[in-house]
Amino acid sequence: MNQWSNALTLFFSLLVEAVPFLLLGVLLSSALLIFVDERRLIAAMPRHPLLGALAGGLFGFLFPVCECGNVPVARRLLVKGAPSSVAVGFLLAAPTINPVVLWATWTAFQHDPSIVFFRLGFSLLIATAIGWIFSAQVDLRPLLQSSVAHAVIPPSTSLLQSGTFMLGGSGQTISRFGANGAAITPPPRVTIGERLPLMVENMVQELRELGGMLVFGSAIASIIQVGVPRDVILSLGQGPVTSIIAMMVLAAVVSICSTVDSFFALSFASTFTSGSLLAFLIFGPMIDVKNIGLLLSVFRSRAILYLFVLAAQLTFLLTLGVNLYLN
Amino acid sequence: MTVKSRFSRPRLRMTRFSSGPSPWFLWLDVSMMLIWGTLFLKYWLSGEILFLLHPNYVWLTIAAAFVLLGMAVFKVSQQLAQPASKFSSRRSQSVQHLSLLPKGWSNAILILVGLLGWFYAPQPFTSDIALQRGVTDTLMVTRLQPQSFRVSVNPEDKSITDWVRTLNVYPEPDAYQGDPVDVSGFIIHPPDLPDNYVMIARFILTCCAADAYPVALPVRLQGDRSDYAADGWFRVQGEMTTETLNGDRRLTIAATRLESIPQPRNPYDY
Repeated sequence: MNQWSNALTLFFSLLVEAVPFLLLGVLLSSALLIFVDERRLIAAMPRHPLLGALAGGLFGFLFPVCECGNVPVARRLLVKGAPSSVAVGFLLAAPTINPVVLWATWTAFQHDPSIVFFRLGFSLLIATAIGWIFSAQVDLRPLLQSSVAHAVIPPSTSLLQSGTFMLGGSGQTISRFGANGAAITPPPRVTIGERLPLMVENMVQELRELGGMLVFGSAIASIIQVGVPRDVILSLGQGPVTSIIAMMVLAAVVSICSTVDSFFALSFASTFTSGSLLAFLIFGPMIDVKNIGLLLSVFRSRAILYLFVLAAQLTFLLTLGVNLYLN
Repeated sequence: MTVKSRFSRPRLRMTRFSSGPSPWFLWLDVSMMLIWGTLFLKYWLSGEILFLLHPNYVWLTIAAAFVLLGMAVFKVSQQLAQPASKFSSRRSQSVQHLSLLPKGWSNAILILVGLLGWFYAPQPFTSDIALQRGVTDTLMVTRLQPQSFRVSVNPEDKSITDWVRTLNVYPEPDAYQGDPVDVSGFIIHPPDLPDNYVMIARFILTCCAADAYPVALPVRLQGDRSDYAADGWFRVQGEMTTETLNGDRRLTIAATRLESIPQPRNPYDY
């Protein structure tokens, strides 16, 4: 009975913590949808894959969202036709490369600023590298859930087709809001008063879809946390290699929001290697049990596997370098 | 890694805006937001939110509650005001979304979980979780935050957390020999300690219950620990001594008095 109670408390704790950030994410996503002129946004993106991935990674400074909130924004970027390098760079870096998270990390690790700088640098490096790799897949749609894929503007189509942003539920139709409802034409000018209902409508729909997945992921994270003794994971964490692996597993299992994960990592500061703390702070915001549920709303499982393997390998190698050469 | 697209010739079908969202789904949306918004307010007003979150983040939950309620009210008012302007109405109806779960399932899950939250009152973690997460007197989550560390505190005014922080700075148990102790916390019965020992513990939160971390000090009793139920809250008075427990020299409270107390409104430390 205690275990059931503890699991439920954990479950609601994760939700109560995550929902405000999810709301912030869907708010920004909807604002991007309704208020931002996607023609300018996408036109401003560097066409070079490497620079595009870097720009996507730095995009988080404009959208201070954690890993609960970055998925709807990344999904929106994809649907609006942003290059895959930009969208993937943003997806992986935004939960870390944003002012809120950096401020929290600085607060927690101000006694060791190298943690803050390495977190910033490695996250951006990994996100840019993976974004660059994904740019090899010019047409990202085979890696996306079919409902998203059908909404994405194909690469051969002009990326500047404004107003293409809605898709049908069961029919996977694309709605274009031309004056006659049929042509690919710029949308008519609308006032703020007309855009606001659309924004709220979009927020509700994204909250509904992503909220359901968040519940699913939080439930799994809670069950694992209660079911698997943390000592089992932590007992692995003494060596330069095993400590990194242990903290990466812990990051994936705990699924803690990137906005506050520095404080959680702080609790291991005196018993775990700096490299392993960095691994926790870099890998967790990119991939964890909770946001796999959210990622599944955008990507097919194969793409998530690519993201997972690449992010894990790069995180491991970089943080192992810290453990072996800088500690 | 290049994967051939199956979407090279996408079928673009136009939506005519003729079929708006069903009122049934609209009211499900409104219900979902009302349930979660009021649930967050309930957690806040009842104080239960302190079992779930660090106080520093409570304002986020309160803000989220009002945003959810505001969105629900907006949706209702929008529905009642229909027909609105022709353009807004058409566009609003056309807003349809990608969906991984079958239509309505997300709402159903969120509503059911929200109702579960309404009927289940969160409880502070128990000694089971403390034992599972590893009881420690050597590591502090927030030991590096100076506002939480008060070195000038008299020994008898120190909490369990203060004691463990002090021990973390200077980990020689003999340095505290004979210091008066007056702490409160919940009781743990560690299986590896003799029957005349318990541990007095607190959970420390850094952001939410997911990272709750137990800290505890051993207590040497004058009798058997069966008199002091696990998870019961007690005020322990006595003095510090050094004991060798399981081969380790540990700072231990030699208890002279244990008084049962009610669970505090906020059982966690920070």
